[in-house]
Amino acid sequence: MLLEVKEIHVHYSKVAALKGVSIEVPSGGIVTIIGANGAGKSTMLRALSGLAPVSAGEIWFDGERIDGRPPEKIVARGIAQAPEGRRIFPDLTVEENLRTGAFLRSDKPEIEHDLDSVFGHFPRLKERRTQWAKTLSGGEQQMVAIGRALMSKPRLLLLDEPSMGLAPVLFQEIAAIVIEIVKGGVPVILVEQNAELALGLAKYAYVLETGRVSLEGAAEDLRENEHVRKAYLGG
Amino acid sequence: MGRVLAKVIATMSELLLQTMINAVYAASYMSLIAVGLVLIFGVMGVINFAHGELYMAGAYTVVGLYSFMALPFFAAVVAGMVFVGILGLLMEYALFRPLRDNPLGGLIASIGFLLILQTAAVLGFGVRMAHIKPPTQAKFHLMEGVVLTEQRLYVIMAAVGLLSALYVFLRKTKIGWAMRACAQDKEAAALQGISLNQISRIAMFIGAALAGVAGALTAPLVSPTPYMGHSVIVTAFIIIIVGGIGQLEGAVIAAILYAFVHTFVTTFYNGVLADIVGLVLMLLVLILKPTGLFGAKERA
Repeated sequence: MLLEVKEIHVHYSKVAALKGVSIEVPSGGIVTIIGANGAGKSTMLRALSGLAPVSAGEIWFDGERIDGRPPEKIVARGIAQAPEGRRIFPDLTVEENLRTGAFLRSDKPEIEHDLDSVFGHFPRLKERRTQWAKTLSGGEQQMVAIGRALMSKPRLLLLDEPSMGLAPVLFQEIAAIVIEIVKGGVPVILVEQNAELALGLAKYAYVLETGRVSLEGAAEDLRENEHVRKAYLGG
Repeated sequence: MGRVLAKVIATMSELLLQTMINAVYAASYMSLIAVGLVLIFGVMGVINFAHGELYMAGAYTVVGLYSFMALPFFAAVVAGMVFVGILGLLMEYALFRPLRDNPLGGLIASIGFLLILQTAAVLGFGVRMAHIKPPTQAKFHLMEGVVLTEQRLYVIMAAVGLLSALYVFLRKTKIGWAMRACAQDKEAAALQGISLNQISRIAMFIGAALAGVAGALTAPLVSPTPYMGHSVIVTAFIIIIVGGIGQLEGAVIAAILYAFVHTFVTTFYNGVLADIVGLVLMLLVLILKPTGLFGAKERA
């Protein structure tokens, strides 16, 4: 397993957001975490990136324990995240946004190569490379967020609600690119409220409910599951 | 009649030009101070109340090294810049880092540090004004009746040089981008592998050093006292509010605007009215455009 999360707990002040969650991610394909608003999906990714303090449990990435490390050390190990709400830098240009993703790298020629390949995934960003990021549409901002995460040359990519606020057509476009990324050899953890789309893309899925994994299994099996159909797939 | 009128017009235009030169000088040192304060606030989210005292510390470095120990003036200025930069590093490490999640705590700690610096200056140099013999008495007569002293020219050149260098640094270097990224979204910056500690250190060093160099260069012109930071910090806050919080370019433009208004009102009326006009300017901006003249609109 590339990533092993063992029984982690995360508390915000006194409220428990994660109560002993375990997940495993292999070194290929998409694993999805679905669940309702406030179930702890984003907290899970924040804990993986070192933004939320893990109060108990362990996170192992490629044979190394990474819980308790600061975010920049985790990025250096190879975990990149396109966070919820995109969180692009509004007053940097598109290109500067993408280049911040390569902050820890010093292999200049390869950075240029990777920038070209991000522009290959998202031709629209290339047209707008000198524009302020705040002038982009929601879909384009999501592309910047994903492209920026790719610029760190990650070994694991975390995507938090990439479909949020996007028209279905746009999400199909983003989904196609996520599949391309995975084919390129980067495994993805996809957190989604849109369970339909997430279960369509992923191999394996976890259902998070009030800070616990209530259900897990192959994505195609979960699509047939009675409870998942009722609670997340609208019947 | 005609000759009298011509003479009056000539005198008036001399006065106007001289006042403009005075305003350029005032804008120069004010923007050095205000930009440092904005940089620290932008990157670390903390209001550094001790910023005026960092300016004072720069001035007293020159009092100590140049006036007392007779070192060359520019060596004392560079020493002041570096020394105050190091004071900034110390503040970052001892005050702002432990209080990172508590901006109000950072502000209060900086007020405590302000008192420490003031007391240190009183113990070291006494409460009286320190008069410094200017390193140069040279004057440039730009026109009949319009004078720019060499000492003031140093301040103007330093401000233009250092602020241009800072601009290039922020636009063209990787650390500069990282600094702007931190100022816009700290968490998202952390997710790119940018270390907030590292960037905060750099911002604090640069911000403090700019205040230090302003104090060091103006020391022969203003006669330092341990309490000289007060008036400066009030001015710096007005400039920041007018320019838009977190806007470096805004701070420079607001400093120029404020310096011109203040210098002109002081020259043609008096200093008290000039202070009032400055505050009214700030109030007007707060009422009409609360994000400052150059502040960002609401972010989506």
